[in-house]
Amino acid sequence: MAYLRLDRLVKSYDGRVNAVDDISVGIAKGEFLTFLGPSGSGKTTTLMMIAGFEEPTRGVIELAGEDLTRHKPYERNIGVVFQNYALFPHMTVARNVTFPLRMRGFPRAQLAARVREILGLVGLGEYADRYPRELSGGQQQRVALARGLVFNPDVLLLDEPLGALDKNLREQMQVELKRIHREVGVTMVYVTHDQTEAMTMSDRIAVFNRGRLEQVAPPLEVYHRPRTRFVGEFIGDSNFFTGTVDAGRPGRVELDGLGPVQADPEACRRISGGRVDVLIRPERVRLADPTLPNSISMKISVIVNYGDSVLVIGDARGHPVRMRLAGAPPATVREAATITIGWLPTDAHLIGVRL
Amino acid sequence: MLALILALLVGLFLIAPILVVIPMSFSTAISFQFPPPGYWIGYYRKFFTSEEWLEPALNSLIIALGAMALTMLLVIPAAFGYVRYRFRGKSLVNLLILSPLIVPHVVSALAYYGFLGRAGLTGTHLGVIVAHGMLAVPVAFLVISATLKGFDRNLERAAMSAGAGPLRTFVHVTLPVLRPGMLVGALFAFLSSFNEAVVALFIAGRGASTLPKKMYESIRLESDPVIAVVSTLLVSAVVLGVVVSVCLRRRPVA
Repeated sequence: MAYLRLDRLVKSYDGRVNAVDDISVGIAKGEFLTFLGPSGSGKTTTLMMIAGFEEPTRGVIELAGEDLTRHKPYERNIGVVFQNYALFPHMTVARNVTFPLRMRGFPRAQLAARVREILGLVGLGEYADRYPRELSGGQQQRVALARGLVFNPDVLLLDEPLGALDKNLREQMQVELKRIHREVGVTMVYVTHDQTEAMTMSDRIAVFNRGRLEQVAPPLEVYHRPRTRFVGEFIGDSNFFTGTVDAGRPGRVELDGLGPVQADPEACRRISGGRVDVLIRPERVRLADPTLPNSISMKISVIVNYGDSVLVIGDARGHPVRMRLAGAPPATVREAATITIGWLPTDAHLIGVRL
Repeated sequence: MLALILALLVGLFLIAPILVVIPMSFSTAISFQFPPPGYWIGYYRKFFTSEEWLEPALNSLIIALGAMALTMLLVIPAAFGYVRYRFRGKSLVNLLILSPLIVPHVVSALAYYGFLGRAGLTGTHLGVIVAHGMLAVPVAFLVISATLKGFDRNLERAAMSAGAGPLRTFVHVTLPVLRPGMLVGALFAFLSSFNEAVVALFIAGRGASTLPKKMYESIRLESDPVIAVVSTLLVSAVVLGVVVSVCLRRRPVA
């Protein structure tokens, strides 16, 4: 039973193009759901409708069975954390954090204790009397988080909250956010265009593209079994080939320009023949040995060394192929060399192409 | 290097008249004379004791405060409307609001003279306040709409999701954050009225004579060195105003 439910949500600004086009998704109580997608895919607009800052053109938003669709933001019990922090510059940290409590008529006698508690949670106990401008970006974001959580909202919405921080701080804050989510147990909806953030933090990821939902699933499922080519390409590094599945011969895919290869018969049956997109993650592409049923030869064009792994980019009969090898590559792998590569039938993910 | 010299020359050119006026205000000469033959503060004493000068000074103060209030009353709602909403003829409205900057003051003054005369407001404080209020609109509008454009609307959203309705959001968040910009706008409106001479000459008459008007009359009739004193005081007031506005601007707002 979904706690927060979006039902056929549509938002159009001009009456012609839908910025959000028929989004339906249910979010469980205490879940960490991430809206992931490129900019302009409708994820932030959807978040703003949950917050009440934008009114849906059509559709329903329900929280714990109550219809929230036409409620004003201040009539909802939903916290919001913005990318640019949006801290009140004329108020101290403590005033910022107590603001929601004061607006919501929280008992005055308990204000101080609650602020201490919440600032302790985000690790800013000693900063209560500072002004936002006296804090670093990471600290400001923690204040924003405290302000969003202090009134025990039903849902906390986060709009690219780590977007303005540098890489190291971002990773640190990801861990922090997960910890806070565990400790508080509040339902969180998190918007980002950063797939790593989505992968590391979410219970489930909702992938947005052009105002529509492409897939809603746990991170590993989205990564290994994308429902559409867009999802496979947007999340992680990928090799995509096109081909045809012959319904009469499950376990065989005819790749365009590369010839027949073996595939998982189960996957072939599910698709029941026709045109397919074939996804093979670069880390699943291997140097061929005689046990691999699928092998093709590839001319190496570039080798990028990451220290812990190498990315080999090559060309197999006009098809670009990316292969990631853990550790140091063998001597045969060098630029301009021709090598034989392959993959296990189960490492090829098939996506049926609907025409 | 050349640019620096050029900049210094331009700066000197701009500041020279002020540097001439200040020594002259302390001069012992009975008329304008530079360099002064000797120094004393007698003309300051004359300014601060003569009714003839203090009355226009008081008039100027009242009128400038009134014009400032009137300008703000018009400009704040106008700036909110202009910055936050899209509507037909928006650029035309902008041009209209800024038109007092473009129309020569003499032309405006003549128009005000005819219009306010018919309303029986020439020679009254109210008449000058209305005219000066209009003239100050563009400057105040530019300052305040710029402040408003820089205002992060997520602050209002944050306040609303925290449980504040529109009114409390405005009182607790929007207004305090915009305050420095509004004060600068008000200050500019005040100074623009306080320093204005042309329109005052046309409509202030005897009853509401302002300091710049009195100076003009005095220089034409008697070239009294008290004018140098008034000039020095006016310059000081403007410098003070600019310093205050710079301080207000410095205060980080986001």
